[in-house]
Amino acid sequence: MSTSTADLAHDHSHDDELVKVSLLDRMPGRGSSAAWPLGLAGVALLVAGTFLSWSYTGDVLGDLSINFYPGGVQICMIALGLVALLFLLAHRGPLHRLGEWLDTAGAVRALGLGAVIYMVIVVAVISVQSGGLINVNPGGWISLLGALVLAASGLMLVSRQHRDPLFAKTSSWLEILTIIVLMALLLFGAAYALGIGDGPSFSLFLIFVATVALGLTRAGVFTWVGLIAQKNRPVLMLGAFTVAFLFPFTQGGSDENMSIATQVLIFAATALGLNIVVGLAGLLDLGYIAFLGAGAYVGATLSTSAFATIGWKPPFIIVVVVGALFSACLGLIIGSPTLRVSGDYLAIVTLAFGEIFRFTMGNLDGNNGPDLTNGPNGIPAIPDLAIGSFDFGQPHTILGITLGRFANYYFLLLVLAAFIILVFSRLNDSRIGRGWVAIREDEKAAEAMGVNVFGLKLFAFAGGAFLAGMAGTVKAHHDVSVTPDQYIFLESAFLLAAIVLGGMGTVAGVLVGATILKLLPEKLRFIADYRLMIFGLVLVLMMRYRPEGIIASQRRKLEFHEEDEGLAERLEEVHLEEAEAKA
Amino acid sequence: MTEFLQQIVNGLTLGSLYALIAVGYTVVYGIVQLINFAHGEVFMIGAFGALATWSVLFKGQTGLWVLPIMVIGAVIVSVVTAVVMERIAYRPLRNAPRLAPLITAIGISVFLQEAVRLFYPGAKSKLSFPEIDVVTGAALKIGGLNIQRAAVFTVGSLLLSAVLLWFFVNRTRMGQGMQAVSEDPDTAQLMGINVNRIIVIAFALGAALAAVGGVAQGLLNSNIDFRMGFLAGLKAFTAAVLGGIGNIQGAIVGGLTLGIAESMATQFIPGQFGGSAWKDVWAFVLLILVLVFRPQGLLGARVVDRA
Repeated sequence: MSTSTADLAHDHSHDDELVKVSLLDRMPGRGSSAAWPLGLAGVALLVAGTFLSWSYTGDVLGDLSINFYPGGVQICMIALGLVALLFLLAHRGPLHRLGEWLDTAGAVRALGLGAVIYMVIVVAVISVQSGGLINVNPGGWISLLGALVLAASGLMLVSRQHRDPLFAKTSSWLEILTIIVLMALLLFGAAYALGIGDGPSFSLFLIFVATVALGLTRAGVFTWVGLIAQKNRPVLMLGAFTVAFLFPFTQGGSDENMSIATQVLIFAATALGLNIVVGLAGLLDLGYIAFLGAGAYVGATLSTSAFATIGWKPPFIIVVVVGALFSACLGLIIGSPTLRVSGDYLAIVTLAFGEIFRFTMGNLDGNNGPDLTNGPNGIPAIPDLAIGSFDFGQPHTILGITLGRFANYYFLLLVLAAFIILVFSRLNDSRIGRGWVAIREDEKAAEAMGVNVFGLKLFAFAGGAFLAGMAGTVKAHHDVSVTPDQYIFLESAFLLAAIVLGGMGTVAGVLVGATILKLLPEKLRFIADYRLMIFGLVLVLMMRYRPEGIIASQRRKLEFHEEDEGLAERLEEVHLEEAEAKA
Repeated sequence: MTEFLQQIVNGLTLGSLYALIAVGYTVVYGIVQLINFAHGEVFMIGAFGALATWSVLFKGQTGLWVLPIMVIGAVIVSVVTAVVMERIAYRPLRNAPRLAPLITAIGISVFLQEAVRLFYPGAKSKLSFPEIDVVTGAALKIGGLNIQRAAVFTVGSLLLSAVLLWFFVNRTRMGQGMQAVSEDPDTAQLMGINVNRIIVIAFALGAALAAVGGVAQGLLNSNIDFRMGFLAGLKAFTAAVLGGIGNIQGAIVGGLTLGIAESMATQFIPGQFGGSAWKDVWAFVLLILVLVFRPQGLLGARVVDRA
């Protein structure tokens, strides 16, 4: 049982796998029949503990001091316990048929270890914040013990999985239901997370989410979810859009959270545009922020701001088109060297273009060139958008819920992001998209097969720039002012990082990456000063251990792990099955 | 005419600085075909290493004799940084797709900048670099030309480094090993050359020169800050490409050419688009033109398929 298909599925290199398995095999009691009851006992202890008081004082991590009234931090552990219970029951018991498809042992292992980390941090936070371990009440210790027992049981369990979840046949209503439930959880989780006020509680919630996600990944649930998401794309898109649309209504008019949300959306929309260039066409663009900047400058100079230097004040819809086209023209210029340079050199050409854009915007102040941009001071006091009689600066009340200024922009940006996603996925599925993949994987072979390499590359640049330009025009109004130092190289690096972290060439990956990069620094204020350093470190580690990103497209994964023949074969089989199903 | 000569002098100074950094890009590229984007930060760390050496050991001293020790301090810090970076971040990625090392380099770059900003006392704003007798102070005047004393140091250290580098590459076993690896790593390995060690040496060599550059920059500007590596690194990369990346003489020629071109552009481009506000723009325009039209550089270099 030491080389089950599950291990093959989760480990990229076979050497790693051998080491891991042998380490696990040396666990005392591995495979013993006591493992399963031990797991149940762990869950019972973990959950029982949450109903008791964890902390003597009531002001740490919300209020954890009342018996039989679990606080938010405790409810997370109940949820984790229930997920673990589900996997234990799938391992042996009523759901045992599920255990053939899923690596239940791996899931319990991940959940148990995550719970231990979570509880240790809880205990540490309580003892630090209220002065000493003495303030940790029995409930906390019971839950910690439960977590330890659960982890031990996970280490002792042996996976029963012998089927690949990629080939699971499930009824479509179950698939759609799963998607709906996942979407609802996403909305609930996002609203809940944004509502958490203090840093430690927020970090704990992140650990909880990461643990559950890791558990589900280990089990192989997400392999299946990825498959059904592909099968039921329209449902998924609709669901995601509904969730995003409903989000402002959960915020009760709080401008603070909506401001973060709009920033995430602007960032995500731009990153999605970049994903066309980097993720689909495989061209590294390190100056992409310039396109957002170009759009923003067009939006600002054509606005009714007193500092705008051009007299023409067209309606906003025309400004969007002009901004996007201007950006696309820049994209064509920046893309034109792709005829001759590629790879690292192209990256540096684009970086140089990005810097030239920033310097130029900083210089065009009347002294060092024509007065277009007010130089380093930029264009301030850009008025709020007004489309028809709808003023984006004013709060509006819908169904008794007040939606503030940022919520207005949020809806506009949502429409924009949906448009960009639509463009992205249509392009990805088209002849153009296949051409890009061909160029990305082997340019010479693509050219030999008759792919118009230069044309497609130029189109990637111009198209990506067009979308960023659109986002830029909205950003100008949202930010109120436009200055050159908003468009420094680091911002381009951030955009690239969003794509790399999330997963190149996938929409979901970019959305996740953008959310992580914009949301975490806002919420984790206590590490604010270290955030850039951590960002750099994460980039390095990510490239080292998971270059394909958190949510990778299977094809990309293969490109980064060319030696992994198991993965290649699996992909081949899936493609064959799909082809058969169509025929 | 004096103006012209003055710009030549300025250009040579700037160019020597670029050349010192550019050697690092070129040596590493010549051996592993990797653009070590974080090399600019190695240069920055060198400057901080020198400053740290001075503040810890010789605070308040201005004698010329502290300068060599400062340079040694700078070199040690830079070399350690570069070697650790190679070992931890780049070596595991040696056969990865091109994108991976580039993104790693951006990560290292951000990490090093932030590490210096956060952990070097007072580095959140500019730090003043010590004044050293003889190499700083009133500018020398020769026939109407103003020559900064630190400029003499910069050009001098470039000359010395170039001679030592030439000797190392052509006259030592290690240097010949480097040449062999850059010609053909697989064959070199079969001939018994330890390729990993050669790569580490390439990183260390580049770092040492960058550290000297860092000291020169500190003396020239009389202050340093944690952001100085980014622009200098990019310019030096331009220089390396200009000369032909992978080619050590090329890096030096390219550095000097870029320096002179930049100061000439500052002085002689007429109208609103001249002057120091646009000099960086012209440097980048030059970078793009070179990459697009002559990627093999002025002196030419073996151009590997960059796709």
